[in-house]
Amino acid sequence: MTSYLIAMATFAAIYAVLGLALNVMWGMTGMVNLGLVGFYAVGAYVSAILTVKLGWPIALGMAAAIVATAAVGAVTTFGLLRLRDDYLAIVTLGFAEVVRTVAENEIWLTRGTDGISGIPQPLKAALGPDFNPAYLVFCLVVLGVVLALVERLRASPFGRVLRAIREDPQIAAVAGKNVLRFKVKAFAIGGAIAGLAGALYGHYSSYIVPEIYVPLLTVYIFLAVTAGGVGNNWGAVLGAFIIVFFLESTRFLIQVIPWLSPVQLASLREFLVGLGLLLVLLLRPRGLLPEPLPKLSDPAARR
Amino acid sequence: MTKRILSNPTRRRALAGGAALLAAPAILPSGTLAQGAGPVRIAGLVSLTGGGSAFGPNMRAVHQAVVDEVNAAGGVLGRRIEYLSEDDQTNPEAGVRGARKLIDVDKVSAILSVWASSVGTAVLPLCWENKVMMIAICAADSIALLPHQGYFVRTQPHTELQGTQFANFAIKRGAKHLYVMMPQTPFTESTMKGVKDTCEPKGIKVSTMIYDAKKTTFRSEIDDMMRARPDMLMMGGYQPDAIVMAKDLFRANFKQTVIGFAYGMTPQFVEGAGKEAVENMYSVEPVPSAGASAYARLKTLIKRDELDIYVCQAYDHANLAILSMAKAGAFSGTAIRDNIRKVSDGPGVVVDNAIDGLKALAAGRDVNYEGASGPCKFADNGNIIDVQFRYNQIRDGKIVEVKL
Repeated sequence: MTSYLIAMATFAAIYAVLGLALNVMWGMTGMVNLGLVGFYAVGAYVSAILTVKLGWPIALGMAAAIVATAAVGAVTTFGLLRLRDDYLAIVTLGFAEVVRTVAENEIWLTRGTDGISGIPQPLKAALGPDFNPAYLVFCLVVLGVVLALVERLRASPFGRVLRAIREDPQIAAVAGKNVLRFKVKAFAIGGAIAGLAGALYGHYSSYIVPEIYVPLLTVYIFLAVTAGGVGNNWGAVLGAFIIVFFLESTRFLIQVIPWLSPVQLASLREFLVGLGLLLVLLLRPRGLLPEPLPKLSDPAARR
Repeated sequence: MTKRILSNPTRRRALAGGAALLAAPAILPSGTLAQGAGPVRIAGLVSLTGGGSAFGPNMRAVHQAVVDEVNAAGGVLGRRIEYLSEDDQTNPEAGVRGARKLIDVDKVSAILSVWASSVGTAVLPLCWENKVMMIAICAADSIALLPHQGYFVRTQPHTELQGTQFANFAIKRGAKHLYVMMPQTPFTESTMKGVKDTCEPKGIKVSTMIYDAKKTTFRSEIDDMMRARPDMLMMGGYQPDAIVMAKDLFRANFKQTVIGFAYGMTPQFVEGAGKEAVENMYSVEPVPSAGASAYARLKTLIKRDELDIYVCQAYDHANLAILSMAKAGAFSGTAIRDNIRKVSDGPGVVVDNAIDGLKALAAGRDVNYEGASGPCKFADNGNIIDVQFRYNQIRDGKIVEVKL
């Protein structure tokens, strides 16, 4: 049981890092990125290819994953320049599909649908059975560092500009902000975080394959961020843990409702995730942890 | 009193569920959940949702039916078998989470009938690290090459074996130009290479195309194919894309010979694409070599007239796991690993189900299990060997065996 909970907490921590990535792009800047899983895939593949094929150390592979996905994020933003809302969502969805298709077909690079197995796991040989708890601690530390950084980002003037762009890019432009530059930066930062999450997953599971990177995963993270509270980083983390808890705890439902067949239960699990989201949106429309917005105060009254 | 509560399985797992709810990792020392004198647990990791959902529900029903009949006959070595299943969503990431639950929480000895090669590759390391036996379907050649220490066997013929069957068919039918269309899968490259290596020395031209299986129409692909004027088409897809392709071939009025994998050309394929569209198409299917008593028995067990190849394999997986434990006199994954070849390959009474096998083993005799999917002989790397194939043709909407 303990090792199961450790494994699930590791998944939740990786999802939480992904949630933070989405929160930078969508929660803070208002850019709907349905291609999140594409960045996650690029991060995983870059680190896997460099460590498996070229024998790079794991830390360097992860660093390269961050750099590569940041670059991919920045470059894709230029392609998305004129797109907002639904159009942006559709194009980013396409981006993730392109990444998956490339991973499936460029066999010389990605080993195609066979996937890359034997991705090195840090200190696996030295730690032995302690690898799983140690990796959980590592993921939680990474999550903590990323959370601290994006929290700092949110509170900074930079974060304020992102919020202004989210509310109305034109007004932000009129106020003298270079909207494109901020969008590129937000996408690069979000992409880098998603890439880091991808590398974390690859070096944990030691096997990646294009089939992992399906849109369903993006949907889970959207659910996590929505449930937790769009724009609130703590909310994104909480939401990710809730999603994994929901997905996993429903496995045990079979003992509680034995009259349902496992086939029905499998569908019911997906259904319950949707129902949970609806309930949150009905009862707490701004999520479990609403975004903390600075209180508007009258500068004159402060004196 | 405390001891009785702990040994009660439902209560124990409710406790386990409660622990998950609390998310308190240290609540139960893992030792308390280890196998005691309770039931023996085996599990199916099947696809109840996602791309494999056409097959998963039937496979788990077959597992359950086998376990139920063995329990009704007294269990294995006096212990009841408990069958559990998890949905892998036909996705390696979800499959790993499901497998972790089965291995860490339920402490199963064997994971049966993993269908998708990607899920199998992702879950297999967990199996060998935790000494859990995997009896799988997964056809990708690469899986058997993993360092699985024997904790892996599969009943699906790996694709090298299957690819040459198509080539033999083309040679026997005197084809001049064979066109191979397949979606991107772990075995696409090796199948195409196998076909080419066999056909080209015989002077048969081979053209290949890889398509995206998730497309809703293959008109442009079929146009390209027909422009090359092949006289035989090998359609290497799974059931969903095979249906779409058969319909588009019919619309394009393609009149040449078509052959495909039997797992793509199922009765549901005939129904989905329409009788007219699939008439006269051929398929290649692995068959049991020595009679098919297990096949006939399985039909009565689950009360169905048509069995797909995966249902047959699921039946064999459950029987093999149970017989291996009985042969070993132990219930661990390692016991299954060390005995699966002793009950499937070698001298002994030929049996086609676990109950007869258990009786024979109890009487001190050796058994040789001959399954519904084939004779179930495994090489050291886990691959199935000695597979016989047969050719089917669709005639008037029925899939019938043909001789060449």
